[in-house]
Amino acid sequence: MQEYAVLIPLLPIFGFILTLFLGRKLPGQGSFIPVLAIAGSTIISVGVLLEIYPSGEVIHQSWHWFSLINIGILVDPLAAVMLCMVSFVSLIIHIYSMEYMKGQGERYYAETSLFTAGMLGVVIADNLFLFFLSWELVGLCSYLLIGYWYRKPSAASAAKKAFLVTRVGDVLLLAGIFITYANMIKFAPDSQYPLSLLEIFRHITDIPPLQLTLITLLFLGGAAGKSGQFPLHIWLPDAMEGPTTVSALIHAATMVTAGVYLVARTFPMFLAAPYSLVVVAYLGAFTALIAATMGLVMNDIKRVLAYSTISQLGYMMLALGSGAIIGMAAVGIAMLHLISHAFFKALLFLCSGSVIHATHTNDIRLMGGLLSKMKITGYTMLIGSLALAGIPITSGYYSKDAIIEAALEYGLGSGDLLPYLMGLFTVLLTATYIFRAWFMAFVGKSRLPKGKPHESPWLMTVPLIILAFCSLVFAGAVNSWFGGKIFVEYVGRTFERIAGTDPEVLSAMGGYHLMEVHVEHSFLILPLAFAVVGVLIAAMVYWAKKPDPESIVSPTNPIYRLLITKYYELPIIDFISMRITMGVAILTKVVERIFIDGSIWLITQTGFLLGEILRMAQSGIVRHYATAVALGTGLLIIGLWGWL
Amino acid sequence: MIPVMYVLALAMTVFAIGVFGMVSARSGIRMMMSIELMLNSANINLVAFSNYHDDISGQVFALFSIALAAAEAVVGFAILLMIFRHKGAINVDTINILRW
Repeated sequence: MQEYAVLIPLLPIFGFILTLFLGRKLPGQGSFIPVLAIAGSTIISVGVLLEIYPSGEVIHQSWHWFSLINIGILVDPLAAVMLCMVSFVSLIIHIYSMEYMKGQGERYYAETSLFTAGMLGVVIADNLFLFFLSWELVGLCSYLLIGYWYRKPSAASAAKKAFLVTRVGDVLLLAGIFITYANMIKFAPDSQYPLSLLEIFRHITDIPPLQLTLITLLFLGGAAGKSGQFPLHIWLPDAMEGPTTVSALIHAATMVTAGVYLVARTFPMFLAAPYSLVVVAYLGAFTALIAATMGLVMNDIKRVLAYSTISQLGYMMLALGSGAIIGMAAVGIAMLHLISHAFFKALLFLCSGSVIHATHTNDIRLMGGLLSKMKITGYTMLIGSLALAGIPITSGYYSKDAIIEAALEYGLGSGDLLPYLMGLFTVLLTATYIFRAWFMAFVGKSRLPKGKPHESPWLMTVPLIILAFCSLVFAGAVNSWFGGKIFVEYVGRTFERIAGTDPEVLSAMGGYHLMEVHVEHSFLILPLAFAVVGVLIAAMVYWAKKPDPESIVSPTNPIYRLLITKYYELPIIDFISMRITMGVAILTKVVERIFIDGSIWLITQTGFLLGEILRMAQSGIVRHYATAVALGTGLLIIGLWGWL
Repeated sequence: MIPVMYVLALAMTVFAIGVFGMVSARSGIRMMMSIELMLNSANINLVAFSNYHDDISGQVFALFSIALAAAEAVVGFAILLMIFRHKGAINVDTINILRW
């Protein structure tokens, strides 16, 4: 299978081209082409993973591209598990879309196929240049698909917002890549491809630590843009204007995790960079907490899930940040939650899509009592909610528990428990907001103004059941039930096979003290307790109605007002964009008009003036010209004479 | 045999007269004549050097040059004729509208 690894991102590209040009003429707008292409990618991905799993080897294929840039693929354990997840979830969602997006145009299938290609490219790229290209490709597809219903003004502006906000992150990432390149040229002049990840890892110790801090913080900025970390999270809730399948594929399972993947991919650089991992941990924990609070009050079912996604991505960042104490195992823990989250969050989104399909509304205040009419959707969504809340035997319990434990080890090891406490409190909020949504949608009396909801067709429910199964068993199966932490150890050892990434050396360079921290077992019950309390709070308020939710949700409640306005997000953005940005724009305009335009005006005016003087010589009288010619020739001859 | 220097001196004198005539002429006819003088001084040079180097090609060039001068005179006088028809005079100082 190894020799076919390069086909993993290429097959969806073929799918994109075929669907775009032939889709209109094929049955079902050619939606089966991307499904087949991505099924091929999935089979190859799984085959490659099974092949390299026993030995833990690394597949690296590289070709010369131009100048100092190569094009190539790198499949190590980290990339292999990610490839399997991306292609598998994408396949499931494509099958679901065959029904959900029926008759909405072949452009949708083409673009999701292109997106999948880009995402697989991000995962498989062996150098930062190709990584960045794929990264931009997924950003473009995200923009196109958020604005898929571009005749709707809110969708068009949400697409623009997503594009512009992620652009901030992309510029930071690009700056980080430039600085990496400059450093590699300077400190590792013998390396053939300075942007190749393997070359960079080999030469990390040659780069000054503070340069690495700068680079990694810029990378983190890029990751924050893509993964919706504070303060660049503002685009993700609006991105829910796109089709629900797009939200499930791009804004829950795959693209938004690209930022986390970036940090995991370049983790050796983070480990060697002073302060960076602490920033990662704090950013993650803070984002997890603040997004969960906002998720509590949203009435649009997809927005609840969007804030939940931001919050869960914060958890993954927190896990990576705790690598400051636990080392490379952090990558394994973050990836475990990434994949388990991809399953249950894609499931939740597809369930919400099924609900929206049936009720034609996004507003959970208008739903209620759907469980009796939509049994499969209701129960699969219950499984997804349990997984998100972190109730045992679901996948989310094992993966989130590992993160909380890692954060606790980080807290005990570094003496800084704040990220752990934020993460722990978020568990409570998570359970509350997701069960609030579930109770409001599926129990109680129906509040639908009109229409009779019914269960969705089998093309939509079968993917739900598959994803529900994965959400139930994934993390437990790979990391707990069969003899210890198989997954975390396998992915955590990713960098052992790559030269120059000895954690001891790197952490000494970054000033982190890696250690084994002993955690009291009684602490480990806390997240579970918090999750159960969260579910109970949601059940009390939104099922038993004690206290009545109406009394809490009122415009006079200052906390509610703070949350429903998303911490006064609009005025703050307005202030930043209208005041600060406009101020800078006016300043630059003045500078440009006076200094740049002025200097050019001066040059032109000098030219005009000289011309005015010189044209006096043009008398129009032939004799003057003849005299000038004669004198000039004479002078030339005399001059030549003297020179010779 | 006349030394070549003498002939060159003659050519130079003729050329100088031509230049002076060219620069000082108001009449178009006189200007044309001055140009002919300058051309012919060059022909004298060609012939003189041809004789000096004992190489016939200089004289051949002189013949070409005379033919060229004839053609040039035709064009020049045609222009002057048109100017005369247009303005009633051939004072070149009056033809000064092609300028800024």
